[in-house]
Amino acid sequence: MDTAQPTKRRFGFHRWLIVALIVVSVFAVRAYAPVRPHVQVAPEAVLGPFNVPLLGEMYLTNTMISLVIVDLILLVLALAVRRAVKTGAPVLTGIAGLIETVIEALYNLAESTAGKSARRIFPWMATLILVVLVANWSKLLPGVESIGWLHEAHGGVEGYPARELFRVGKASVSAIELGGGEPAGHSDSTLYTVSPWVRGLPTDLNFTLALALISVVMTQVIGLTTAGPGYLGKFFNFGRFARMWTRKDLGPFEAIFPFLDIFVGILELIAEFAKIISFSFRLFGNLFAGAVLMIIVGTLVPVFLPSGVLLFELFVGLIQALVFGMLTLVFMSMATQLHGGGHGQEQGGAH
Amino acid sequence: MTPEVAQILVTGIVTGLKFLGAGLAMVGTLGAGLGIGLLGSGAVQGIARNPDAAGAIQINMILAIAFAEAVAIYALVVAMLILFVG
Repeated sequence: MDTAQPTKRRFGFHRWLIVALIVVSVFAVRAYAPVRPHVQVAPEAVLGPFNVPLLGEMYLTNTMISLVIVDLILLVLALAVRRAVKTGAPVLTGIAGLIETVIEALYNLAESTAGKSARRIFPWMATLILVVLVANWSKLLPGVESIGWLHEAHGGVEGYPARELFRVGKASVSAIELGGGEPAGHSDSTLYTVSPWVRGLPTDLNFTLALALISVVMTQVIGLTTAGPGYLGKFFNFGRFARMWTRKDLGPFEAIFPFLDIFVGILELIAEFAKIISFSFRLFGNLFAGAVLMIIVGTLVPVFLPSGVLLFELFVGLIQALVFGMLTLVFMSMATQLHGGGHGQEQGGAH
Repeated sequence: MTPEVAQILVTGIVTGLKFLGAGLAMVGTLGAGLGIGLLGSGAVQGIARNPDAAGAIQINMILAIAFAEAVAIYALVVAMLILFVG
């Protein structure tokens, strides 16, 4: 909504622009009622199937396109910062200055939590935060999840009649609309549904699972390289079990604790796998719920309320990105501090 | 009862049970709500006692809220899987 308007024409221009857009939306909704799209958990295929050797049939899904867009945005930001740094200006301005502020804040956060090992942990945490943040916010752009191929609805999918808007060459650009309007452009009264070209990246479980795997696997790698092979002792704790057999006078507790150690090790191992599930489903669930919320609010109360929901989604996207990065940071710093006594928190990580 | 009527009846019952199941799955958010409420109350009390520690408390609070919220999100994912898959 907040369109870029560099010139300050008069006091509170953006405010009036937003009010005007809301008023326009009231009339737009009356002229063109919003359609509730089909909600689907699996990402829709845009192109395909392609026969890839070794892998079999592959589809180009709309979340893959979204991933490319997110990566491009991040690359452009990185190149802008690189160019700004190369000019040798003492103070970075514009986008580069913004990025510098963000990175500095994130580094301070990493240093306050991880201390000495912040330099090793920070790249992973900051990369995850930036990718998730851009992915979360790119979901809110207009056109995402609403522009795509027109399909005939079948198999329990709710369909709507389509109306042709205009033609570009041979391709017909149409829009689906609520029933009542006469389906022009398409002779019969078949019902259509839209499968979008671009869909919010975190609404695909594959993406969040990949991020979770990166986070958890790199936690183990950092733990191993910092604490050495002793890090594995957290999971396979046979030390007291081995020493037990050499003892002559074995009390009841000396016989129980070795088994407790082994059991705790197994629990720690399970907790690592639970982290993967927890990471991936938290991000996926939050953002998918956000997408469904926007759809439902947008069709039930199409004026005023969607603005508030958009603001809320902006907030949720920021918080979820921060949570993802901060959990990675905390887990990684716990892996570097082997005997930090962080057992209680470790168990908390199992959720 | 003709087969068509029976078919419609079965479809209707299945749809109704789907919605019922999704609603029941969301009961799991009760615990998350309680947990987040407790967390917020604790954090506000902590900040009131020691306003200087507000930053650290907020960070820990958000982390803990993320854990508590995850349970609700699981319930939500289950509900949405019931509703939108299959």
